Amino acid sequence: MVYGKELNKRSPLRVFERSIHGGLGKGNIGVVTSRKGVGKTALLIGVSLDDLLQGRKVLHVTVGGSVDNLSRFYEEIFRDLAASSKIEDLTETRLTMVSNRHLLAYRDGDFSVERIRKSMNFLAEHAEFEPYALILDGWPDFETVSEEDLAGLKKLAEDMQVEIWITALRHREGQERDERDVPVEVARHDEHLSVIVRLEPKADHVKLRIVKDHENEDMADLHLELDPKTLLLKWG
Amino acid sequence: MSTDLSKVRNIGISAHIDSGKTTLTERVLFYTDRIHAIHEVRGKDGVGATMDSMELERERGITIASAATHVEWDGYHVNIIDTPGHVDFTIEVERSLRVLDGAVLILCAVAGVQSQSITVDRQMKRYNVPRIAFVNKCDRSGANPFRVTEGLIEKLGHNAVMMQLPIGLEADYEGLVDLVTMKALYFDGENGETIREEDIPASLLPTAETRREMMLDAVSMFSDELMEAMIEDSVTEEMIHSAVRAGTLSRDLTPVFMGSAYKNRGVQPLLNAVLAYLPEPREVQNEAISLAKDNEGETFVVSNDPEDPTIALAFKLEDGQYGQLTYIRIYQGGMSKGDTIKNNRTGQRVKVGRLVRMHSDKMQDIDRAEAGDIVALFGIDCASGDTFTSLDLDASMASMHVPDPVISLSVKPIDKKAQDNMSKALGRFTREDPTFRVSVDDETGDTVIQGMGELHLDVYIERMKREYKAEVEVSPPQVSYREALGKAVTFDYTHRKQTGGSGQYAKMQGILEPLAEGEFEFVNEVRGGNIPSEFISAVEKGFKAALVKGPVIGAHVVGIKVVLQDGNSHAVDSSDNAFMTCARDAFRSFYPKGGPKVLEPLMLVSVETPREFQGEAMGTLMQRRAIVLGTTEDAGFVRIDAEVPLSEMFGYATVLRSVTQGKAGFTMEFKRYAPAPVAVADELKKEYQEKVKQGH
Repeated sequence: MVYGKELNKRSPLRVFERSIHGGLGKGNIGVVTSRKGVGKTALLIGVSLDDLLQGRKVLHVTVGGSVDNLSRFYEEIFRDLAASSKIEDLTETRLTMVSNRHLLAYRDGDFSVERIRKSMNFLAEHAEFEPYALILDGWPDFETVSEEDLAGLKKLAEDMQVEIWITALRHREGQERDERDVPVEVARHDEHLSVIVRLEPKADHVKLRIVKDHENEDMADLHLELDPKTLLLKWG
Repeated sequence: MSTDLSKVRNIGISAHIDSGKTTLTERVLFYTDRIHAIHEVRGKDGVGATMDSMELERERGITIASAATHVEWDGYHVNIIDTPGHVDFTIEVERSLRVLDGAVLILCAVAGVQSQSITVDRQMKRYNVPRIAFVNKCDRSGANPFRVTEGLIEKLGHNAVMMQLPIGLEADYEGLVDLVTMKALYFDGENGETIREEDIPASLLPTAETRREMMLDAVSMFSDELMEAMIEDSVTEEMIHSAVRAGTLSRDLTPVFMGSAYKNRGVQPLLNAVLAYLPEPREVQNEAISLAKDNEGETFVVSNDPEDPTIALAFKLEDGQYGQLTYIRIYQGGMSKGDTIKNNRTGQRVKVGRLVRMHSDKMQDIDRAEAGDIVALFGIDCASGDTFTSLDLDASMASMHVPDPVISLSVKPIDKKAQDNMSKALGRFTREDPTFRVSVDDETGDTVIQGMGELHLDVYIERMKREYKAEVEVSPPQVSYREALGKAVTFDYTHRKQTGGSGQYAKMQGILEPLAEGEFEFVNEVRGGNIPSEFISAVEKGFKAALVKGPVIGAHVVGIKVVLQDGNSHAVDSSDNAFMTCARDAFRSFYPKGGPKVLEPLMLVSVETPREFQGEAMGTLMQRRAIVLGTTEDAGFVRIDAEVPLSEMFGYATVLRSVTQGKAGFTMEFKRYAPAPVAVADELKKEYQEKVKQGH
């Protein structure tokens, strides 16, 4: 294993996984919420890299973005990860990352759950690509997404047996929140969402807080944060 | 006499093959009054367009080499650098992008943004080139400049804004509406040389007004003055021009123009846009590297000041009737006939004999040229990419990355005469193009040429035949593999030879390590003179010589660091020779213990196909050991990006065409070297060992 057992054990993502009771889990949807520019995509690329380097396949979909930009983002975070964790064989490790990953861009902005189901079926049939996790960037917009769409996404997670990670934007002000401080647009879809994570920008770091963890009432207070420079997950 | 730099434009015209670049250039030359008849590219009159000076290009209807042409328009000096459109000629493209300050991106009104446009655009982004777009072929059936503008926005991520509207399209294409002046323009006369300005046709007025609003909204982002004027309803043409210019220069805006070069429509307004919106030399930052002893390696921004010491870059060589013609861009200082300048690569002093301004095949003698200008030197011997400076300055224009060649084939001249002609041709090509290399195979004695792709080598073979009358037989192309160390290994080697008289003795210890970046690094850590310092360079030479042919498959060994830690010498028996031999043998004995790997070139391949053939296109890639990086779905089209070993790409064009009924296209550029799979490596090892056996 190129990732190295040691590194794997030490990864802050293991703590994250343990604290959400073994990870998001197939058939489930997880949401990362934060204000704009705090590091939602970076966190999810970190989660993705962790899967990829363990040999799991990840499909990363961007609605409106481009494959080039997303690929560059991965390279940057990969480089930081490599530098901070002393990966030995960079070439091999990078190859593992690239060959387990598929980036998919819908440039025309026309997106539906059905479309992604079609793409996934296509990749399974023609490229022998069946992802462990699906990361969605640029969709849904919680302010406009319908109940039907999210139910459809949940069904997709179950049918395809994938973990799905999505993001939600928090506004600085004027946004209604529930008692957990989750924006109501997100909270109203609670039944479809298994995990909700919030990123909170502090003076010199970004704190990661678990707001919902499957059916558990008792949320662990994580000593995890994002490094403000590399946006990599690290010990707090 | 000094040129007013604000009236100089160095521009490139960049485009997909077949989007009409040569035709457009030809029209520009016509309107700027330098040639008196317009020739079609695939000339009915057999004359051919003026910019394509090589016969081969004329025949294929594509432009391979870049030449610089000087034209004058409205009191401005415009140097047009013709940039090749095919990615196989990457170094040529990059070299021309380097010397130009702005570019016109031509798009076909029917085909829109194609995969080739994407590649060219990527290269321009790399060199921060400000662009304006020209949607050509508005007279063709299926033309739709609105859709092409959308393509610029969606596929290339440009903030593209239409500055004009077409009046009619396809067969009814008549002229255009200028959204700045709000006038209709028609192009009269046999060659569209007379511009007739009229009121906008009533039927088009509502659209023109909406589009002008859109344009102003987008453009006002770059000018507070314009934004305020919009509120007060006091917008002037000058305000719009300066806002568009600001947005274009910062590369945040791509103004879109349109027309039909073939039908002589829309070319003059495009020329005006070049003057109005593309940068003058002083608005672009270029860097040079100091070669002076006290601050070697430091970069500095060139001044563009004609009074400063001269720095000029030779970016293109051509064989003229009277010897070598060297195109140069002057970045600071100036050059007069009779001056002595210095080639900073060779250290050679050269005298400027003749200085000329080029109009493709014709030239005009001049006495002086200054910073910001592009001219040609006559009869000076140098290589492409060399920097010339004043005698008192040691500097070089920052070097461009020259990729390693990835493909090779052997050429055999058919007779003695062909042999002579071939060496002349090869000498010329290697000086023109650093990615084209020539070597001699030790075992077979064959001449081997290396380059960046099949087409790249094809073109040179054709040029040998046509321009140099060198008939050659060629072998099938071969991929250039490499070898590299898998892991670090320590070495300890003694070279001893005693055959009467003075013997040979050398001993060395150290480490061979894989190097993540770069080809070869040598570090000397020997303390206390155990290896006397005069022998250290012999050790380095010995290792370098051993790298040329690795013991695994006989390929070049790359990415290796040699750390020399200790050793020993003998007062009488040690010599340069002994240490060189020792280094070579140490390498040969210990390198195989470091788990050597075979590396193969990987290409970045982008296939663009209509969605109905996505499965077939993906299939062709999967069969070729591709690592698919991603797919982009866009309004009926799908682009698949993948890394594919070059060895799997031979004949791919034909295969892709046949499975997609000719509807898919692809581009390919060298990405990097990567370890070859075990099966491939084993096969290569077996072949090499057999070759070695036969040789003995």
